[in-house]
Amino acid sequence: MSEGLNYKFLIDTFFIALSGVPVALLVTIVSLLIAIPLAFLLALTRIYRIPFIQRLAQVYVSFVRGTPIIIQIFIVYSSVPLILTALLKKYDIAMDVYKIHPIWYAFIVFSFSTTAILIEVFRSALSTVNKGQLEAAHSVGLTTYQAYQRIIIPQALVVALPNICTATVNLIKATSLGYAMSLQEITLKAKVAANVGYNYVEAYIDIFIVYLILCSVVEYGFKLYEKHLHKYKLADA
Amino acid sequence: MEKYFDASYIWESLPILLPFLKVTFMIAGLSILLGSFLGLLLAIAKLSSSRIAQKLANGYTTIMRCTPSIVLLFLVYYGVPALAENFGLNLHDIDTAIFVIVTFTLQFAAIMSEVIRSSYGSIDKGQYEAAVSVGLTPFQAYRRIIFPQALVVALPNLGNGMIALLQEGALAYTIGLIDVVGKANLIIASNINAHALEIFIALAIIYWVLSLIIEKVFSILEKFFSKGKKTLETT
Repeated sequence: MSEGLNYKFLIDTFFIALSGVPVALLVTIVSLLIAIPLAFLLALTRIYRIPFIQRLAQVYVSFVRGTPIIIQIFIVYSSVPLILTALLKKYDIAMDVYKIHPIWYAFIVFSFSTTAILIEVFRSALSTVNKGQLEAAHSVGLTTYQAYQRIIIPQALVVALPNICTATVNLIKATSLGYAMSLQEITLKAKVAANVGYNYVEAYIDIFIVYLILCSVVEYGFKLYEKHLHKYKLADA
Repeated sequence: MEKYFDASYIWESLPILLPFLKVTFMIAGLSILLGSFLGLLLAIAKLSSSRIAQKLANGYTTIMRCTPSIVLLFLVYYGVPALAENFGLNLHDIDTAIFVIVTFTLQFAAIMSEVIRSSYGSIDKGQYEAAVSVGLTPFQAYRRIIFPQALVVALPNLGNGMIALLQEGALAYTIGLIDVVGKANLIIASNINAHALEIFIALAIIYWVLSLIIEKVFSILEKFFSKGKKTLETT
């Protein structure tokens, strides 16, 4: 390795790593699409103090915040096949659970963990909106649904956006752990390419650059959207 | 199901796993110590008047925020020895724990620099001026006036940073460090991959309890250190 970096490999692998971006983005987007509505509903149960469900949501958030995501991956990856086998046996469905594409596990794990993170984000954002806003909306004849849709959510979103951005970046970073489920994303693709000639340094530099670009683009996108949303921000803030 | 899942494995594996927390704590402790020091330097750079120092420190933080720990871990693991070889140093035989500590020091420094910067920014500049005007030296002013107030603001973020570090530390097994996660994987391998789920649940319990303890300790510390703050607010 003392002869320096293998530049040809560095460039070739960069494009291999880049080809893993769609998978990483797909996992990110699907997880967010599942997590956002679910987290919003659970955040509402916390705000309205719905007994039992609120307690359950609290324990759920504490568990996800308290355990490393790699261990959540391990648990899902080893428990879902067991549960599925038992279920399939019960209903006599012939299907090989070990042939399920790993991306399904990725969807489960990452939406499971992102939901918990977003519950806290939405809860704190919703609590910044004054209760009088909802009452005022009611008094002019809006239904609760309309009040949330037109009055509360636009204001809460401004507050929540930086945290949603952090959660998204963390989610993209976490997809790099998909290798534990043999998910063909950025990290695994470049690593496999490196296995041939032991060019690990080059491969990891490529992965590093790909994530750097990906996360910078996402952060920039959120910043633009934040500016767009700024018109909803309260004047005194 | 009984055949596949046996809860007794969870309790049996706990006493085997717990001694390996020592390694986890050592890694986390050293990373926190070194990372805090580096983070302080970065925060000083961010708050300095030099544009170049500011740009460098902010760039460093952005890069660290955008890099998954596992990528950084492997980059350090493979990159540092390769880099050192150019200077005629052979680092291939040193303990993997060193690489893990280097990685998490780099990462924690980025977290720390933001924590320090934001907590320092929350303290009114008038406090420093008032302290100097009554005859304290700048060092005394920082130590007695600024630091105690900034600490209270920094504590919740510090706690979150530590929990994050502890959890990212779970990835150290990937480069062959035998900490709790590494040991758990060894147990599973020696069971020929049977009962993996129970061992992983045991791991999850260990980490969950640890982060609950950290949260609790920090909320107690916060209460303890905000004592002085209350009296100031009433005046």
